[in-house]
Amino acid sequence: MAKAHVHKDVIVIGAGMAGLTAAMYVGRMNLDVLVLESGIIGGQIANAVSIENYPGFVSVSGADLISTLQKQAENFGAVVDEFDSIVKVTLKNNPKIVETEEKIYEADVVIIASGMNRRKLPLPEERKFSGRGVHYCELCDGHMYQNKIIAVMGGGNAAVDAANFLTKYADKLYLIHRSEFRADEVSQKRLRQNPKVEVMLQTEIKALHGAGRLENIDVLDKNSGTTKNLAVDGIFVNIGVVPNTELFKDELQLSKSGRIIAGEDCRTEIKGVFAAGDVREKEIRQLTTAAADGTTAALLAEKYLSRLKESV
Amino acid sequence: MVKVYTVAGCPWCEKVKKYLASKDVEFEEHDIERSKEDAEACRKLTGIEGAVPVTTIDNENYVLDFDKEQLDKLLCL
Repeated sequence: MAKAHVHKDVIVIGAGMAGLTAAMYVGRMNLDVLVLESGIIGGQIANAVSIENYPGFVSVSGADLISTLQKQAENFGAVVDEFDSIVKVTLKNNPKIVETEEKIYEADVVIIASGMNRRKLPLPEERKFSGRGVHYCELCDGHMYQNKIIAVMGGGNAAVDAANFLTKYADKLYLIHRSEFRADEVSQKRLRQNPKVEVMLQTEIKALHGAGRLENIDVLDKNSGTTKNLAVDGIFVNIGVVPNTELFKDELQLSKSGRIIAGEDCRTEIKGVFAAGDVREKEIRQLTTAAADGTTAALLAEKYLSRLKESV
Repeated sequence: MVKVYTVAGCPWCEKVKKYLASKDVEFEEHDIERSKEDAEACRKLTGIEGAVPVTTIDNENYVLDFDKEQLDKLLCL
């Protein structure tokens, strides 16, 4: 059966902080807005147990923050579809086409807020042990490691916060990171004060071993050049992120890191196409800057739409 | 009856539940952290300790994680 064609004023791709903020603002301006999300609503922050650096909240879980934001956006008329995946986008003409598995959407404005995904562990054994000792979701899989030994790989805020969370299950936790911490001082201090935790900086996981599921790992100490074998039941990988820009690589200019090139005004090289949040190439990527991008993109999208309608 | 094995706070478990609800599929939720019997039944089904979300309709065939295509197939949606 042929796919139905549906027109929208604005399509937002991605339902993280940037995308839902954009949808809320666009909705408030009485525009017809659809948010498409093929992963988890909230993106990376859906996994955050406690966010302590979002203004107005002493501490809030990612799930609670994003669920409130989704309600705000929906209260202003935004529709969020998290079950219909995008298969192709054509952005250079007007209207822009966003084809999903079920429909063909035509939109005057597209706001890309597709965010980033966690980088996979770059070892050949990763596939063998994925879900059987190698994990990427602390909230989903942390419970498997009650009274067990866990390693967390990574040194940024997400990794350190994940490690702090996982200590509630583990008897022992290794924080393994190839260089120095990038996490903020507060999170680092909390981790270092936990007696279950052993911080191993300047170290790298070189191999995974186990029959059926993960049993132990080889860890290289980069300072001494020696490798030691550690018994661990599970590893949670938090070694950075990769931008979700595969769909746009033939339509928009991407930076070396694969992010979309757009100014602080979130405008891309194509009129009516905006990039907001972590998917946009920029120096600072925080929850607050994602919200700011969503706001900017939405307000400038409305301006663009007004001019477009005047010109018809 | 469709069963979904979950743990509290797991975002992919929430997604599976929302998807089933969007398709008007009635299901029972079994939190494997709250019940040893459910944890054991889930482990027996998948052969993997603690993996969630797991959806089954007959305690034999199952879908691990959120996989729309496989869920549609399992539940004839």
